[in-house]
Amino acid sequence: MTCDDVRPRLTAYLDGDLDPDRGTVVRGHLRTCDACRTIAEQESVLRDGLRDLPTVDAPSGMWANIQSQLAAAEITESRRPGWKRALARWTPMLPRFAMGGVLAAAAVGILWWRTHESVAVEPAPNKIVDVASPKIESSAPIAVAPKTGCNLDAPAGTDVTVDLAGEAARVTACYAQTAAELMTLARETRGTWTDEQRASFDVQVADLQKAVERAEDGRPRQRAWRAMNRYLQTTLTRDQVALASAVTP
Amino acid sequence: MNELAEPIAAPLAAPLAEPRPRVAANIADDAQLIAACRRGEARAMERLYHQYKRRVFGMAHRIVGASDAEEVAQEVFVRIFRALANFRGDSALSTWIYRLTVNAALSHLAKRGRRQEVGDDGLTDVAAPPVAERDSALASRIEAALAELPAGYRAILVLHDVEGLSHEECASILECRVGTCKSQLHKARARMRDLLGDSLKTGGNS
Repeated sequence: MTCDDVRPRLTAYLDGDLDPDRGTVVRGHLRTCDACRTIAEQESVLRDGLRDLPTVDAPSGMWANIQSQLAAAEITESRRPGWKRALARWTPMLPRFAMGGVLAAAAVGILWWRTHESVAVEPAPNKIVDVASPKIESSAPIAVAPKTGCNLDAPAGTDVTVDLAGEAARVTACYAQTAAELMTLARETRGTWTDEQRASFDVQVADLQKAVERAEDGRPRQRAWRAMNRYLQTTLTRDQVALASAVTP
Repeated sequence: MNELAEPIAAPLAAPLAEPRPRVAANIADDAQLIAACRRGEARAMERLYHQYKRRVFGMAHRIVGASDAEEVAQEVFVRIFRALANFRGDSALSTWIYRLTVNAALSHLAKRGRRQEVGDDGLTDVAAPPVAERDSALASRIEAALAELPAGYRAILVLHDVEGLSHEECASILECRVGTCKSQLHKARARMRDLLGDSLKTGGNS
């Protein structure tokens, strides 16, 4: 191995980044080459010198200045029009939205293509089967909707075109079932909440429950259930995050 | 072979330097700190500041020079606290803070322009901080030579050799490949050796 081979490897050798075989070769060369050994010694002194440079203390008034700048930035932020704040908040996510948009467009395209490819089905009478939604009480135990209420598969031998009539009701029942399961989870973690969180949760759930009851059958009611489920999922996720990063007082 | 019988010089016998204490990657602590800062708890914010102030200020000091270091460090901390809500934890908190610091320092230099970039005139700016007597001469020369390097070399030397970060961490901070990071370090040290010349031969005591 020549000097030209060794010198590019000296930094890695001195930092212990070379594998043992190459390290041995470099070491062997250094034993016999004064010029390379001098460079290695200099680099070693340099590396140790850099490592031992003293830490630089930050000026004592820096924290106060930072706090002032943060306060000034918050004041400026509060004076910005809402649309500018929203724009600033969403701008970093634009690439993701763009990607989502492309995927959604592709999905719609495929759906349209599949729909137009398939044979038109004679619509069944639009009879909505009303399935009672379970009433959710935030603080009291609630009955989980029967599993059968959340079965989207039509029974074997059913004429699918006829069975479509009950589709909306079954979907609604599924949302209700999910809400009931989420409420069960919420009750399990309820004990870790503060009184304010509990009160806020109860109010929110009661409002969402009213919205469900007020909503008309079919899609409006499904939307109301989805709102309920989103709120419950958000709350439970927040709990998990809070539990994971609970601050010890 | 006589050469083999010779006592082995220090860099030959002990290529591995004592590992410098690394940035403590205490994820649990960081998570707690981040959560508290996001809630706007003043004590947590102050704790985060004190935990990172030396690293941030030290990096800024060595990359942009003493006169602008405070301005850059303040800018970095303001960015940290304002952007902490969006910190996704893809990297360690310390890596993220180092990245913000290096980017802010390099942007500051770019804004300041080449004419004001720390060069010969700037050496007085980057006065070596107080150090122990035994190695103050070498430390001063190293600080001065560091200030003469191109900003990119300064960044890699400070991150790897001064702060003691691994190549992987440096690559993550500088957003480059590990191989690039190693090659930059090699070139940066070669430039430093050229700049320091004989100062390194005697361990800086000349």
